[in-house]
Amino acid sequence: MTETSLIVENLRKTFRTTVAVEDVTFEVRRGEFFSLLGPSGCGKTTTLRCIAGLEKPDKGRIIIGGKDVTNLPPQMRNVGLVFQEYAVFPHMTVYENIAFGLEVKKFPKGEIHKRVLRMAELLNLEEYLNIRAGRLAQALMQRVALARSIVVEPEILLLDEPLTLVDAKIKELMRRELRRYQKELGITILHVTHDQLEAMMVSDRIGVMCQGKILQIGTPIEIYDKPDSIFVARFIGSPTMNLIEGRLEQHNDELFLDADDARIPLYGVPSEKSKLNSYIGKIVVLGVRPEDIEISTQPMKGYFTGKIALIESIGNKLEIIVELNSITLYALSPPRTDLKVGQSIHLKLRPMKVHIFDKTTEKNIMLEEV
Amino acid sequence: MASKPPRSINLLANLPLNILLYAVLIIPLAIMIFISFTDWNPAKGYDWWQAPFTGINNFVRMLGDVRFGAALGRTIVFVLVVVAVEFLLGLGIAYLFLAEFPGKRGIISLIIYPLMLPWVVVGLIFYLIFADFGPVVNVLKAIMGETFTRASLLLNPTTGFIVIMLADIWQWTPFMFLILYAGLSAVPRRFIEAAQVLGASSRTIFWRIQFPLIRPLAMIALALRSLEAFKVFDAVYMITRGGPGSTTETISFYIYMLAVRYYDMAYASAVSLVILIALAIVIRVFVKYTIERGGA
Amino acid sequence: MGTASKVLRIVAIAIYMVWLIIPIAWTLSLSFKPYLEWRSPHFWPKDPTLLNYKILFFYEREIAGTTGGTALTKPMITPLINTLIVVGISTIIAVIIGFFTAYGASRYNSPGPFSLYFTLLTRMVPPATFVTPVLVYYRTLGLLDTQLGLILLYAAATVTYSIWILKGFIDQIPREWEEAAILEGLSPFRAMMKVTLPLIKSSLLVSGLFIFLMNYSEFLFALVLTTKEAVTLPVHLTTYVGGSGALYGAQAACGIVASIIPLIIGYVIQKHLITGLTFGMVRA
Repeated sequence: MTETSLIVENLRKTFRTTVAVEDVTFEVRRGEFFSLLGPSGCGKTTTLRCIAGLEKPDKGRIIIGGKDVTNLPPQMRNVGLVFQEYAVFPHMTVYENIAFGLEVKKFPKGEIHKRVLRMAELLNLEEYLNIRAGRLAQALMQRVALARSIVVEPEILLLDEPLTLVDAKIKELMRRELRRYQKELGITILHVTHDQLEAMMVSDRIGVMCQGKILQIGTPIEIYDKPDSIFVARFIGSPTMNLIEGRLEQHNDELFLDADDARIPLYGVPSEKSKLNSYIGKIVVLGVRPEDIEISTQPMKGYFTGKIALIESIGNKLEIIVELNSITLYALSPPRTDLKVGQSIHLKLRPMKVHIFDKTTEKNIMLEEV
Repeated sequence: MASKPPRSINLLANLPLNILLYAVLIIPLAIMIFISFTDWNPAKGYDWWQAPFTGINNFVRMLGDVRFGAALGRTIVFVLVVVAVEFLLGLGIAYLFLAEFPGKRGIISLIIYPLMLPWVVVGLIFYLIFADFGPVVNVLKAIMGETFTRASLLLNPTTGFIVIMLADIWQWTPFMFLILYAGLSAVPRRFIEAAQVLGASSRTIFWRIQFPLIRPLAMIALALRSLEAFKVFDAVYMITRGGPGSTTETISFYIYMLAVRYYDMAYASAVSLVILIALAIVIRVFVKYTIERGGA
Repeated sequence: MGTASKVLRIVAIAIYMVWLIIPIAWTLSLSFKPYLEWRSPHFWPKDPTLLNYKILFFYEREIAGTTGGTALTKPMITPLINTLIVVGISTIIAVIIGFFTAYGASRYNSPGPFSLYFTLLTRMVPPATFVTPVLVYYRTLGLLDTQLGLILLYAAATVTYSIWILKGFIDQIPREWEEAAILEGLSPFRAMMKVTLPLIKSSLLVSGLFIFLMNYSEFLFALVLTTKEAVTLPVHLTTYVGGSGALYGAQAACGIVASIIPLIIGYVIQKHLITGLTFGMVRA
């Protein structure tokens, strides 16, 4: 029993002239729920298909359960795969679908029967066993697809955007179910999605992908709190992080961002600890999440002023859009009734939640060691 | 979808069709029904509408007509054998074509040419090859020596009939191939990929996933081909003329002989009528069966 | 999939292709063989000649000595022209009537589905079963051995193809476009002619060519209903071998020539062959 279920090394895949996957490397540990997250076209599905053996990579290695499967066909890789559209065999019953993988592996009939029933019980499919899979509702189809993939006990289960085609209301339910099965059965999962909220909710670790490369790997909290690039910072989190370009200046030991017609003080942000010092006088990108902006109707130390342009209610919070001349900031606040459009408002950025990115490399300066 | 049709359209959509079908086909059908209850043939002095009613004589005669039974039986055997072979061959070739290889489209284009040839030409081709003066008999004679000189492929009822079947198989296997190939290619990739990941070999995938999914298509193909095969005439005419004697006659050929050679119009009409009714019953049963099983 | 199966696949396909090519190759070869070689088993002619093709177009009498036979054949010009006229006109009739019927059926369910399935019967019944009554009928009407007689029959027998094929295409055109035209003041008839008709031009062509192909090959009725004047090409094909002699080479040549037009048409509409043969049920 190996510690890592899956190792992908330097994977590269080109389609004619497009490079879909460019040097992807990551690992998935046993029992882990790992998500590859990224926008459409970033190469995550292609990576998944290469792992499954449905595409042949140009370069790189794929090691599953300690075995190098790079040159093996899908049949011999010991993986499970659930497609976006589930692909349950419509002409077969649920029972036959689940039994398929076992029959192919030539398990004895009695054993097959036992396992199918047990899997059906686990996934609440018992009453549907004799129904033609083509007639089922989506949510049920997904369970059948899962059941049939899990019953053969693969080393790792690959999920290709399993919830994308599902109605919003059911998504929540299925998400929770998925997590529950995974924890109960101890399955290792590699999950591919473009929905960052989904990835954040179900994953143990996430790999954020963009244009064929992995930009950052970490736990949901790590990625959220410490994005190491502008792309990751912008992609994760809803509402989106504020990103403002300006020159980093220092005045009386205080840092602030000079964006032509506005100045945003970075009150409390330490300048000696990180590489920030070397960026003084240079153009940087400031990043701060809406929920990390404090609001006050009274001017206080360290606060700067802006004007409320719009107030929107999202769920159980208020999104307040504040303008400082040409800069627009989005702030999040618990519900309150004393704010009005046009009113002057005072804002402060929580110092530990401020991110500064190098404009050219787009890397998070504050995460880099001095 | 449908509202009341405006008069002009309604007229155009129905009248020409009805005139054509009634004038050309329905009236003869009525004539046929009438004549089948008489004793008429052109040699008699009077016209057909003056022929006296003779009841079901013709139909009774059919019951004892050995030649009729033989022709009908032979035709049924023809249909069963030919359609089965074409289906299996077509399926096999479709399977071979499922993988990608260079020039596939061009080769498919070439393979379908027999479908376009006039049926008489196909009959002619096989006649020229298997006739006594043709290459096959000559080669056989050379191999098997003088004992074969008096034998002949086309003058032998069994081998003659086999040649007729061969002609049909040669011409129509591509039909089965095209339909089955279209169906098999249309099976969504992801079903095949899902099966692959579950460990299935190409053979397992073919039999347990692709083949079952083309069942409705296969049924249509079989039904259509069977109906066409039942009509076989051109190949019989060109290859054996039904001979020797009447030993390779199909039902269409027998009716032809009755009407055109023997001028026995009344009996020919009766036989035609019976065949039509029998076919109508078979078709109706088949349609009911397919609809019950989920529809084509 | 190892290389062994790849090789097997190629071999199997090659065998099938050989089996498809040999018969027509033999016929082609025979058509170039002189009289003396008609019975020899050599594949290719040792002394190729165009004589057989000449026979197709001239009275044999004019080249009697060289064939050594006494068969009298008529040139195939008349049968060819007959075929083109009969098949051409009947096809046009079938497509026109088929269009109107398909339109009514698609937009207004008139004729209704029952009638449409009824027309399928024209293809399901063995032509032989209609030989007797049509023979009698035409004799009474004086339509025996006439082009008109065949034209009417062929049109009636194949109109169902154009109905089913065209209905499939018309169904796919949104009704809103005609309704918009009607709102602008066009009569339903003109809407049909100005809006729908141009959009399915290619389907009209396809169904027309397909029906042409079917009618061109028609043999039984042509055999039974014609004797001299209206003889079509398939029937003419049988006249080279018969009681008065056996011009195998010429017959082979006739077969080859008779196949040219159908092969051309067949390849033009090859993508739609299956659609036609299955009455629009299967679209490949």
